[in-house]
Amino acid sequence: MIFGAIDFAQPWVLLLLPLAALPLLRRRRDTLLFPTLDWLPRDRAGRVAGFAWRALAVLALAGIVIALAGPGSPETTVTRTGRGAEIMILMDRSRSMDAKMKPSDWRTIDPHSMLYQVESRGEPKSAVARDLLSKFVEQRPDDRFALMFFSAGPMNVVPFTQHDAVVQAGITAGGLGRGLSDTNVGRALTAAIDTFTERAYTGSRIILLVTDGGAHLDEPTRKRIREGLQANRIALHWLYLRTLNAPELDAEASAPPPAADGDSMEAIEVRNAYYAQESIAEVSLHRFFQSLPVTYRLYQADSPEDLAKAVAEVGRQQNFPLDFEERVPRQDHSRLFFSLAALCCALLLVYRSLLLRSWL
Amino acid sequence: MSAADELHEFHYRLPQRAAGQRPGSHPGSSLGAGQEFVSHMSLYDRPDPRRLDLRASVRSTTGDWLVRVNRQRVGVTVQLLVDVSASMGFGARRRKIDVAADFVESLARSAFRVGDALGMLAFDQRERADLCVPATLSRGLGSVMADSLRQCTPAPGGIEGLEDALQQLIGREALVFLVSDFHWPLDRLGAALDLLSHAFVVPVIVWDPAETEPPPHDAIAPLRDAESSVRRTLFMRPKLRTQWRDAVAARRAELDAFLSARDLRPFFIHGAFDAEAMSDYFFEATA
Repeated sequence: MIFGAIDFAQPWVLLLLPLAALPLLRRRRDTLLFPTLDWLPRDRAGRVAGFAWRALAVLALAGIVIALAGPGSPETTVTRTGRGAEIMILMDRSRSMDAKMKPSDWRTIDPHSMLYQVESRGEPKSAVARDLLSKFVEQRPDDRFALMFFSAGPMNVVPFTQHDAVVQAGITAGGLGRGLSDTNVGRALTAAIDTFTERAYTGSRIILLVTDGGAHLDEPTRKRIREGLQANRIALHWLYLRTLNAPELDAEASAPPPAADGDSMEAIEVRNAYYAQESIAEVSLHRFFQSLPVTYRLYQADSPEDLAKAVAEVGRQQNFPLDFEERVPRQDHSRLFFSLAALCCALLLVYRSLLLRSWL
Repeated sequence: MSAADELHEFHYRLPQRAAGQRPGSHPGSSLGAGQEFVSHMSLYDRPDPRRLDLRASVRSTTGDWLVRVNRQRVGVTVQLLVDVSASMGFGARRRKIDVAADFVESLARSAFRVGDALGMLAFDQRERADLCVPATLSRGLGSVMADSLRQCTPAPGGIEGLEDALQQLIGREALVFLVSDFHWPLDRLGAALDLLSHAFVVPVIVWDPAETEPPPHDAIAPLRDAESSVRRTLFMRPKLRTQWRDAVAARRAELDAFLSARDLRPFFIHGAFDAEAMSDYFFEATA
C-alpha cells in the first residue's frame, strides 16, 4: 500500500488510527472540580499546557499506530551521475604475487647483492598492490569499482558498486592466506569482460589487470578477448609488477613484428630474435595486448614507488562523467515514529508529574 | 461534627422588634407578659389586676386604677435558605454542603432552645421541593434537615433558584439565614435580596479553604467549573498564586461593600462552622 513516497508494511493497522482521537474526548476525571472559575486568573501558560498534553497524547497514539503499520520509503532506483569510470580491478592472487618487490633505493644497490637485498628488505607485491589499490579506490569516490581475483580461475569478489567500503573490504580480503598455485590470465580476462556484457554502457570502462606474470594465450582465447574488449569498449590497463629477473617490457619487447623477409641471414636473425622474445610469457601477452583494437596501457612497476606512479597515472587517465542507476532498498521509518511516540510519552510523564490531582 | 455532643449552639437575637404573638426571646412589638414597660392603662381598658400599679393609681389625677402594660418578647420564624447547587458540593476535606448541614444542625438546636420555629428552603436551578421543610417548632427536626442536606446530590444551579425559592418568603417577617457561597452576579442578587425587605437577613457565606487559598506547590491544575463545566488549566506558580489571593480578597471586598449597602453583614464560614463566631455576630448586631 503506497501513499505518495511512503508505503506501509501492515496497512490494516492504520484502521486503529481513530484511537488517536481518544485523548480529545473530554473526560470529567481529567479535571478538578472548582466552585467558580470567575475569580481565578486567566493563565496563558496553563492554557498552553492543557492544549499541549492533548496534542502529545494524540501524537503518541498516532505515532505508535503508524509505527506499527511499518511505514517506509519503497524500493527505488536512482540515476546518479559520477565522474570517473567503471573500473574492474582484476588482481592476480597467485603465489608469485607473494614475492618481494625491489626496495625503493634499488638503483643504488650493488647488483650482486640485489637478490639478497630484495629478499630481506622488499615488500610483497600483493601487499603493495593492495595498499595502493585501496588508496586508489579511496581517492576516486565517483568511480564504480568491481573486484575480481584470479589464479587458476576467476573469483568474482565484488560486483560493480559505488560503495567503496565493500570494495575496500574485498581488497583487504585479498591479503588472507597465501597465494594460489596458478596464473590463468586468459580465463580471468574473459570472465572480467563478461561482467561488462550485460551492463548498459554508461561511461568509460577499464579493466585494471594487476599481475606479475604473463601467459601464452591460445588463438580461441585471444579471439574472445579481442572481440569482447572491442564489443564492450573496454580499455585495458596492465599494472605489471616486475619481479627481480623478470623480463622488462621495454621498447624492444613492444616492437612490432619485424618486416624482414627473405632467407638472408640477417632477416632470419631478426625474426629469430623476435620470436625468441615471443616465447617469454610476459612479452607474448604484452604484444597481444598491443595488437588489440582498444586502448591499452602498460604500467611497469619495479618498486612500490613505480607502482604508486602507475596508479596515479591510471587515475589521471580516466575522469569522464558516468551515468548509472542505483537501486535504493526499501527503508523502514517505523523506528522514527516509535521514537517520536516515546518522546511524547516521556513528555506526558513529565506533565503527569506536574499535575495537581487533588486539593489536599 | 455529626455527633450530637459536639453540637454547639449559639445565641441570637433579632436586633429589631418583631411583630408576633407567640412568646419567645426576641424583642417584639406586641403587649403582654414581658419585662419591658410601655405605659399605664386603665384597668377597665386592660382588665389584668395582677399588673395593678397602686403607686401610679394614687398619683393619677383621673382617679382611675392603672395597670402596668409591658411589651412581650416574641418568638419569630427562622427560615433557612440553603443553596445546594453544584458549587456547594465542592470541598477539599468536607463538602461545603456538609459544613452548611453542621450549621443547620446547630441553628436548629439554638432555635429550639429560644422557642423559634425553623423552616428550610433549598434551591439549585429552582426550588428543591424535596428539601423543603415548613417552619415548625419540632425538636428533632434539625438532624432531619441536616441529613437531608448531607445526602442530597448537588446539581448545577444559579441565581434563578434563589429567586424561585424567595417567592415563598416575600413579605413575611422572619429571620432568614441565606446559606450559600455567593458565586452569583451581584446585580441580580440585589434585586432578589430586595424581596426580603421585611425579614432580617443573615448572609452566611460558605467558602472552602481550597477555594480561597491556592495550592502551595507549583503544579498544573486542570480545573472545571462546577456550575457551567467550563474548563480552564492553570499553571500554578507564585505569580498566579498572588493573582488568586488578590482575586479572592477583591471578591470579598466586593461582597462586603454590596451587602453593607443593603445594611447586611455577611457571616463567613471558612472550612468549618464556628458557633462562637455566630454568637459574636449577633451580639455585634444587637449592640
